[in-house]
Amino acid sequence: MTELETKIRAEAERLLSESLVDVVIAFRQEDAPLHPQPAFFTRAEELESLAYNGLCANNLANYLTRYPQETRIGMVVRGCENRSVNALLVEKQHTRENLVLIGVPCEGILDWRRIVALTGENVFSVEEKGESVCVHTRENTFALSRVELLHPSCQRCLHPNPISADVLLGDPKPEGDPHLMRLRIAELEALTPAERNAWFKHEAERCIRCYACREACPMCYCTECFVDHTEPRWTDSGVTPAGMQAWHIIRAFHQSGRCTSCGACERACPMDIQMTYLTDKLNLDMIDAYQFEVGMDTTTQPPFATLTLDDKNRFITQGKRS
Amino acid sequence: MTYRLPKKDLDQTLRGWANQAEVFVPQKREGYAQFLPWEAGAELLLDEPHNTRFPPKDFFLPQSETLLTYNRKLSQLEMPALQISPRIIFGIRPCDARAVALLDTVFATADNPDPYWQARREQTILIGVGCNQPATTCFCTSVGSSPFDHAVLDVLLTDLGEAYFVEAFTERGEALFANLASADANDAEQADKIKQQASALLEPAFTTDNLKDHLDQIFDSSLWNEFAQSCLGCGICTFLCPTCFCFDIVDEAQRDERVRNWDTCMFRVYSLEASGHNPRPSRAERTRQRLMHKFSYWLEHADQFGCTGCGRCVRYCPVGLDIRAMIRKAAATPSEVMHAN
Repeated sequence: MTELETKIRAEAERLLSESLVDVVIAFRQEDAPLHPQPAFFTRAEELESLAYNGLCANNLANYLTRYPQETRIGMVVRGCENRSVNALLVEKQHTRENLVLIGVPCEGILDWRRIVALTGENVFSVEEKGESVCVHTRENTFALSRVELLHPSCQRCLHPNPISADVLLGDPKPEGDPHLMRLRIAELEALTPAERNAWFKHEAERCIRCYACREACPMCYCTECFVDHTEPRWTDSGVTPAGMQAWHIIRAFHQSGRCTSCGACERACPMDIQMTYLTDKLNLDMIDAYQFEVGMDTTTQPPFATLTLDDKNRFITQGKRS
Repeated sequence: MTYRLPKKDLDQTLRGWANQAEVFVPQKREGYAQFLPWEAGAELLLDEPHNTRFPPKDFFLPQSETLLTYNRKLSQLEMPALQISPRIIFGIRPCDARAVALLDTVFATADNPDPYWQARREQTILIGVGCNQPATTCFCTSVGSSPFDHAVLDVLLTDLGEAYFVEAFTERGEALFANLASADANDAEQADKIKQQASALLEPAFTTDNLKDHLDQIFDSSLWNEFAQSCLGCGICTFLCPTCFCFDIVDEAQRDERVRNWDTCMFRVYSLEASGHNPRPSRAERTRQRLMHKFSYWLEHADQFGCTGCGRCVRYCPVGLDIRAMIRKAAATPSEVMHAN
């Protein structure tokens, strides 16, 4: 057990044993070394299986909307999870007073697919030692560099530290470089429209419409998703180019001003489809056009959810056309 | 009959077949193994411990398929011509081939065969390559199979290092290898050894003794709520499953087609009725359905588990839900907890 895990466990134990929360949402590690699971602890005695490491790939804020507002929830949050919780609070999906956020400065999530690509299939254990990651397989031991294993969204992460946690465990990490996300979007914007279209189609058309991206996303909590509507029908039902492209583009647009760039969608995708380039672009637009960054507080409405008298109205022609 | 296929002759063999049939082989594209048409220079991916990411069931049951087209003005229906050209799937894993055999019990029944499935099955030769090094997510031996199970395979290959040991089980399979030299006793012995070693690498993932009866008894257990807590309710486990076959039929009115799409019991809308009632209202009932179907209901209709132990659901579940651990937990759940919730 790492020092950080001990601290998280102690805090969770305090919250549960003093009845300060009804449930602690964290991670646990069972048999699968590459796949820690989201876990829901309601009794202090269960906390033995609580785990925290770089392979904890889910955004736990995803589970917030499953609980009634009255449920008192303790949640382990990294930078992105904290901002997702905030974005959900903006949308009145829970009550801040009923949340205890156990903040953990994040070193970035390790992409298990990268590990397997480098070490082969039969991974028995993964040990994180600062900047290196030691992977034991059936046949070998590999010393890998942490930076190279990070999930792409984590490489570009701007705010690894929880910004409004009730308690902060571990040392704060340096803020990310905003240039990195801009660089990636700039690369795509430098392509011709035809090239960009080809890129988009190539990614979208591998989709198998399992909706793991939707289900892994804290902000996709609609009771009925537009793709499940039958009257009216919004998209083609099948794995046709039209159906898959419609899914990817509309999913992204519904995230305008709501996505925290956590990358949980891409990590869940079974077909390795890139999709954060769409939401990252929208996030940059939100920053550039409206000076709005998602999840930085619990009250500011996303620009597209508001209408104010001093709106720029750049899409509407005011007065006479010249 | 058994033959010996030296690896250096494999490319030439595939080239020969490609003149008479569409030949699909596992290749790496987008960073993972997929069945793609063989072409000259294709780099085959035959010795990976795991199988293709997407299951080969779509060769027979495409994820989206037009069942018929209609003309509303003339009140006419037309079934698309099912002219499937001969196909050879080379390098299919035994677990995936076994899944095809299981699906035959659904789509190729004597009294009501599915013509779309049948047309493709009849035109497809399955050549399997056994698994010398099963992955840690594999558990075929726990569900009544093995890394060299030849279920519906026309031919099974065993990797001997320099060559493949070829076992043909059907006439059409045999015809493809007839010009090869026969394998000798030494090859057969070596193949046997490899098969035994591979099976030995797989530890029992769970016990299946009395599993069906036990699952039926814990139908109302609170255990299903536990699984549902972390389950995202996405379709990965079922869409990547080689035996899951549920589908939905939709009229795509804008193009006058009746389409069959894969569907999954993990989706809320799967069991949603027109009245608004949903007999499986939460993820608890839906995760239960997935396990019950594979480990109880399949036994009723086919006397076999509806799982071949391929491990895709284990490997790709985004929240690390491992069907093996789920079955172990279910087995350890006493049946007294019935009606606990």
